[in-house]
Amino acid sequence: MEGLSNLLEKYFSIGIIWEILPYLLKGALFTVIFSASSEIIGIIIGLVTAMIRTSKIKVLNQLAIIYVDLFRGTPLLMQIIFVYYALPYVGINLPAPLAGIVALSVNSGAYVTEIFRAGIDSIDKGQIEAARSLGMSYAKTMRYIIIPQTFKRVLPPLTNEFVALIKDSSLLSVIAISELLRTAKEMMTWKLNPSSLTAAAILYLVITLPLTRLVSHMENRLKKSDAH
Amino acid sequence: MIKIVDLHKKFGDLHVLKGINLNVNKGEVMVILGPSGSGKSTLLRSINLLEVPTSGQIFFDGVDITGKKIDRNRVRQRIGMVFQGFNLFPHMTVLGNVTLALLKVLKIKKEEAVKIGTDLLIRVGLKDKINGYPNQLSGGQKQRVAIARALAMNPEVMLFDEVTSALDPELVKEVLDVMKDLAKSGMTMLVVTHEMGFAKEVGSHVIFMDEGLIVEEGLAQDIFENPKHPRTKAFLDAVLY
Ligand SMILES: Nc1ncnc2c1ncn2[C@@H]1O[C@H](COP(=O)(O)OP(=O)(O)OP(=O)(O)O)[C@@H](O)[C@H]1O
Ligand SMILES: [Mg+2]
Repeated sequence: MEGLSNLLEKYFSIGIIWEILPYLLKGALFTVIFSASSEIIGIIIGLVTAMIRTSKIKVLNQLAIIYVDLFRGTPLLMQIIFVYYALPYVGINLPAPLAGIVALSVNSGAYVTEIFRAGIDSIDKGQIEAARSLGMSYAKTMRYIIIPQTFKRVLPPLTNEFVALIKDSSLLSVIAISELLRTAKEMMTWKLNPSSLTAAAILYLVITLPLTRLVSHMENRLKKSDAH
Repeated sequence: MIKIVDLHKKFGDLHVLKGINLNVNKGEVMVILGPSGSGKSTLLRSINLLEVPTSGQIFFDGVDITGKKIDRNRVRQRIGMVFQGFNLFPHMTVLGNVTLALLKVLKIKKEEAVKIGTDLLIRVGLKDKINGYPNQLSGGQKQRVAIARALAMNPEVMLFDEVTSALDPELVKEVLDVMKDLAKSGMTMLVVTHEMGFAKEVGSHVIFMDEGLIVEEGLAQDIFENPKHPRTKAFLDAVLY
């Protein structure tokens, strides 16, 4: 019993949490802003790259493959450090927040590419042929026929990717961006008490749980609409 | 109107079309018969440039459409195609399916496109389904929408690839009737079908394909009444009982 009350006092001190909550909320807001803006840019990058991947332009296709492999195959932490600390040597000086968004967007773009590519591949080839036979260009076929049908199917994996990105944005703490995790760590040092970490964990859940619930909901609806 | 010269198509090592020569004149209804795998679909798809020929030429109104400088989208606008599997766009209404290319390819005004689309849907007997979605339609209705969609571009030639094969028997007639009307209106048509009744009644010319070649061709009457090639005879005996 004594162990439990020690644990509660150390990791769940209501007094401390209450005191630092405003700072944590601000950190959480940063987390949401950084991950949401990166997700949006990542979707644009991923959409374009997926269209290149499914087209027949060989050179661009190869480049797209290299991009996806590179950013899915190396740690995000490394990519963040590279963008912030290495790019200045080639004359690209990005302030930390911008470097953070660039790294997160480009990284998530690689994952989103594969999500969209799978979505596009899952559309019956007959759809493309029907559109092309009407004289629609490849671009118009994508825009009016394939992408609209793809969106419904990629929404669940895309949301999952967003959840992953929200958690991964905590890596931005290495370039001194005060997102949720870094704020919590600072509070821990300040108060000499790790309750801030517990509070941060709860805040992450508050952000991500609605999203993961939304995914299950969408998946169920998709199952029903595919059934008929 | 369409002239095909020594058309070959290979898929890797598989030689599917082995030198097709064919003339289709304006207003003709060319029925394409042949056993499964003989290359009928590949021939139709080549005409619509959905397949790139390995060699040979396809002339459309005197222009070689297999040439490098050809704007394929322009060519396809002039050739309508209807598929066995309908391929309607499920996220659009029936009218949306029919008007899409008018709006986005020809860039016709909305009201005008709606008028053209509505008229066509009335013509194929689907006035009351205009605002429905494809998944609310029977197979026969879907195929009639697909025909209306292809006709919306006002094509000069229509290609039909086994358009009734996926339908329940009782729905075949409504689709064939639409095609019959179309033939009567003077449309140039190439029709791959196993519907011998339709082929006999509506077809003006028949070609019989086997293993990537046209083994017999002629007027529909002649071929049905007096087939010369043993393969044609055997095929017709089999399908006509
Ligand atoms: N994209 C492709 N890649 C490889 N082989 C193909 C492709 N399309 C068709 N084939 C092959 O080409 C041959 C001819 O096919 P095609 O579809 O033209 O025949 P068909 O006469 O239309 O037959 P069916 O009556 O069964 O529709 C078949 O052996 C088929 O497997
Ligand atoms: Mg076929």
